[in-house]
Amino acid sequence: MKIRSREYPARARQSGDVRESVTGATLSFDARRRAAFADVAAEDWRHWAEGVKTHLLTHLDRYLEEAETRLTANGAQVHWAGSQEDVHRVLSAIIARRGVRRVVKGKSMLSEELEVNELLERRGVEVLETDLGEYILQLLDQPPSHIVGPAIHLSLDEIRQLYHDVHGTRLDAAPDELARVSREILREAFLAADMGITGGNFLVAETGTVALIENEGNIRLTTSAPAVHVALVGIEKLLPRWSDLAGFLQLTSRAATGQPVGNYVSMIQGPKTAGERDGPEEVHVVLVDNGRSRVLADPEVWEALRCVRCGACLNACPVYRQTGGHAYGAVYSGPIGSVLNPGLAGLHAAMPLPFASSLCGACADACPVRIPIPELLLSWRRRAVDEGLASRGKGALLAAWTAVATRPGLYEAAGRLLHALPDAARRVPLPVVNGWREVRADPQPARDSFRKLWREGIE
Amino acid sequence: MRRRILERVRQALRDRPAVPHPGVLDTAVPGAPPPLQQFEASFRAAGGEVHRFPDADGAREWLHAFAGQFGSVSHGADIPGPLALPLPEAPAREAAVGLSVASAAAAQSGSLVLSSRGGRRTQLLPPVHIVLVDAASVVATLGEALDAFRDHDASALALHSGPSKSADIGQVMVTGVHGPGRVIAVVLDAWPRS
Repeated sequence: MKIRSREYPARARQSGDVRESVTGATLSFDARRRAAFADVAAEDWRHWAEGVKTHLLTHLDRYLEEAETRLTANGAQVHWAGSQEDVHRVLSAIIARRGVRRVVKGKSMLSEELEVNELLERRGVEVLETDLGEYILQLLDQPPSHIVGPAIHLSLDEIRQLYHDVHGTRLDAAPDELARVSREILREAFLAADMGITGGNFLVAETGTVALIENEGNIRLTTSAPAVHVALVGIEKLLPRWSDLAGFLQLTSRAATGQPVGNYVSMIQGPKTAGERDGPEEVHVVLVDNGRSRVLADPEVWEALRCVRCGACLNACPVYRQTGGHAYGAVYSGPIGSVLNPGLAGLHAAMPLPFASSLCGACADACPVRIPIPELLLSWRRRAVDEGLASRGKGALLAAWTAVATRPGLYEAAGRLLHALPDAARRVPLPVVNGWREVRADPQPARDSFRKLWREGIE
Repeated sequence: MRRRILERVRQALRDRPAVPHPGVLDTAVPGAPPPLQQFEASFRAAGGEVHRFPDADGAREWLHAFAGQFGSVSHGADIPGPLALPLPEAPAREAAVGLSVASAAAAQSGSLVLSSRGGRRTQLLPPVHIVLVDAASVVATLGEALDAFRDHDASALALHSGPSKSADIGQVMVTGVHGPGRVIAVVLDAWPRS
């Protein structure tokens, strides 16, 4: 997994041009989630879902074996992949054996993590993203900026311009017209493809069922039209029982988009059976570790593996809303990304993401599986400080602040000094503070300090 | 690789206390309307259309009148004879309308359960999808609906809970992106005897 999080502070400050689109989309997602949670006993659902996933994770070895047994009995082929290279080997073998030349893909964050498109292109395989947002991003050669709405950082006019440049549509074309143009291209691609690749929202161990939620129907077609379907599934995506699925489909949908359930759900058990007139001849399920067992072993952050990738924490996050997902420089953005990326790619590679949060707690309140994201962020921060990875300037500044703030006399004197200083003198270069000041007006000191007012009696 | 991953997982869980499974979640909301009524409301709220008839005769009359505007149909498997559309049969990719039978329906989420045995292309490729629903198969929750399919012999099940839609183009909702832009549930209170 490629991470370019080092540039986070600079990218975050430069994210002004996506702010309007991202803020609008996330506020709308978040409002719909709240309304959808209010219609049901959401707190009971969340506690239940937390319990199921925690049970799953504490028995993961058993359920992985059960899923493999069931899938194999259903006629699906199961592959185990410890790393990105393992996944590439599995895909390369299928491509070579089946002579695959054209691939259609359903939206999959795991496939982004595993750089699947890059592999396919290196192998000379033509690959088309079929989710409308992902298709747009593929034309722009951009990564998704949000787990559920990959292109929410783009405005309608930017997409109109792109389609005008690529497909020759009018600059004032209606969204329906742009969708029609996309459908015609992608419909042909579905029917011509040799292989479909998807992720998996859930894999039910008891029945060997890969479940996928969507709204467009592109995943239904990706898993139905080509002769080969490959589902890439993180090992943490399992559910123990068939009876768990209905609850997770509904909770995830309500958390992600506020729908009672996504308009399409695919529940795939295996290749087409005798008597079925269509469907894939081969179904492959790749069980992917790629750092997940390392996160599972971590006594402080393993709970992050409950994540169902609904994006609710991104929508609720006041930091994400300002910057969008690209600023984070990693496949998984927003609060859950800042917890997962250090676990999957190593803390050093993912710095300073654990600090990209105000710890306000909105993410934990929104999370359908009750991941205590602020606590996990603090755990990574503690380790970053212990390992000397945290910003030195910030550490020095905080130490200076602590030295002053814990000595009342000094604190008051410092306050008076700051108050008396002319504006120009307050512009002394300071670590951290300067970055903050670049995009904000300086605060103006009040006429009287709080301490003075307190002593004199506050009216 | 299998052995190595399982070994890593077991190592990770060595000192982790096991947590019991919390059991089955009942998603039913107290005081919800009867299933058929709730199904109609939920399916319409998601952009679907619903027509309800007492029996096959009423449904057939409507289907025949509705079929008049189309030139071809792709019939799914197992369509009861009297309910077939009087249109030339076409491959799903060319047909103007697809006709399927729902295996069940869930009221709370407004979901039709469709089996791969019915034919996936018929369910997905025509721009209009009509789904015949036996009123007796409409249950209150998705959990109840799926419970009946723990053991089934189809390669895949799908839930269709509204038309194909997307807001990926500048946050504006468009329908009929990849799948059918219109999905019409035709509910029969009395299902024809075969």
